[in-house]
Amino acid sequence: MSALPTALQIVAQQFPEGTTAAEAQDIAAATNAAFAYGLAAIGPAIGIGYLVGQSVQAMARQPEAAGQVQTTMFLGIAFTEALALIGFVVFILLKFV
Amino acid sequence: MSGLSSLMGQLSILAAESDSPVPFPDIADIVIWPAAFGEGQWYEFNKIGLISIISFVVPALLFFLAGRNAKLVPSGFQNLMETGVDFVEKQIIEPAIGRDGMRYLPMLISMMFFIWVGNLFEILPTANMPSNARMANPLILALVALVMFVGVGLKHHGLGYIKEVLFPPGVPKLLYILVTPIELLSTFLIRPFSLAVRLFANLLAGHILLVTFAVLTIATFSLTPLIAVSALTFPLLIAFFLFEFMVAFLQAFIFALLTAVYIGSSLHPAH
Amino acid sequence: MLALLSVLAAEVAEESTINPVVPDNLGELFWGALSFFGLWIVMRYVCLPPLMKVREQRAQQVLADQEAAAAAEVAAEQVRRDYDATIAEARAEAGTIVEQARAEAEAARGEQVRAVEAELAAQRQQSMAELEAARIAALAELRGDVADLAVSAASKVVQSDVDQAAARAAVDEYVNTSGTGR
Repeated sequence: MSALPTALQIVAQQFPEGTTAAEAQDIAAATNAAFAYGLAAIGPAIGIGYLVGQSVQAMARQPEAAGQVQTTMFLGIAFTEALALIGFVVFILLKFV
Repeated sequence: MSGLSSLMGQLSILAAESDSPVPFPDIADIVIWPAAFGEGQWYEFNKIGLISIISFVVPALLFFLAGRNAKLVPSGFQNLMETGVDFVEKQIIEPAIGRDGMRYLPMLISMMFFIWVGNLFEILPTANMPSNARMANPLILALVALVMFVGVGLKHHGLGYIKEVLFPPGVPKLLYILVTPIELLSTFLIRPFSLAVRLFANLLAGHILLVTFAVLTIATFSLTPLIAVSALTFPLLIAFFLFEFMVAFLQAFIFALLTAVYIGSSLHPAH
Repeated sequence: MLALLSVLAAEVAEESTINPVVPDNLGELFWGALSFFGLWIVMRYVCLPPLMKVREQRAQQVLADQEAAAAAEVAAEQVRRDYDATIAEARAEAGTIVEQARAEAEAARGEQVRAVEAELAAQRQQSMAELEAARIAALAELRGDVADLAVSAASKVVQSDVDQAAARAAVDEYVNTSGTGR
């Protein structure tokens, strides 16, 4: 069930004739990057969904505290989102460097 | 897995042939800009520099015009700019620092407007490049935030601030072996790093997203059989423009808010 | 999405040496730092002070207005209290006046009633006396008449003069004894 090596192996096995080693490496890196970002987005996606849901619940229960809840919600989103964004940076690094 | 492997095979063949009518531009073409003058020098001036200058001039000019003949009962334009000051005061300083945080209003308001105007160039037609999608501006701003919150802590608590950060009270003595390196990393390295990366990666992702959908729209328009897909990609492009309009403000707000939170935690380390 | 993947994959074939993450362009750093610190300084010393001064003035004015409103409220409260006190005073005064008038009226009425009652009693006494006198007079007259009648009747009966005095005494005695029978 290890997705990354599997994908790498598939890509490595399916190169057309005449692919150079550098090209093979690039294609492998690109595939890797896509998987890396996809995996990195799972956790923050769940986290942000849960966070916003709870915030909406809090705001519905206490509409007078909505401003404070909203500020805290944005803070939480910023911290959670940072993980996905680091995944994106990893994607960029893998893909383009 | 065989379906995936055959798809990958087709993709690699496509990549090798590369006969797409509108190829996806190289990353260098969408974020790196040629220099107007001083290429390779320390004063090299390109599109990012121009956008930085504009995001300095525009907020400064707006606030200058609003404050030039400020009246007690504000007119429309002065009212608008005071709403910005009010926003920073009520939404950023009050919840994050408290009433004694009004000293940091000039820094926070310049940070927010500098980032916001720089971000708005992402969706401004003909410019289409946020200055914060390059690492330079976020790095400078994050370093300013780092210097500010460490400076505020040192100024108000002396060396006790460092002790407070590295050896938080209420932790068993033995755990300091574990806690101190984590705190050292998270406070002085990860905080500015995540500030800079959050802003930079959000804007770069938005920029690449818009480029992707623009390229997709053009490519599908030039291929007649795929007109059904372009009927989907073009509205999505518009929708992402509106989404990026929101992101532009949100990232500016979050950057200023987080800086204020860090300053507040240096000012009142108890909470 | 297939098209996107294909164009992304197509891009891989080219060799790219740049790193979009690292800030390797000194010019961008320089102009960015210049712009941000310029904006900070301009905001700090030129743009914000007049706005903040106006806001401060406005806040002070609002505070002053609020204080004035509070003072006016206190004054109004004082006036209302004074008015209430006056009203209470007047009401008490009116109460005493009414009470006094009522007492006076009561006294006057009692006096009159007493006078009338005394007069009535006197009148009653007088009329009782008159009545008694009339009764006595009537009794005396009746006694005389009865005696005369009896004497004359007796004279008629005996065809002679009856001793006037003796007869009268007898009649008197009779009348007196029968009179007592009432």
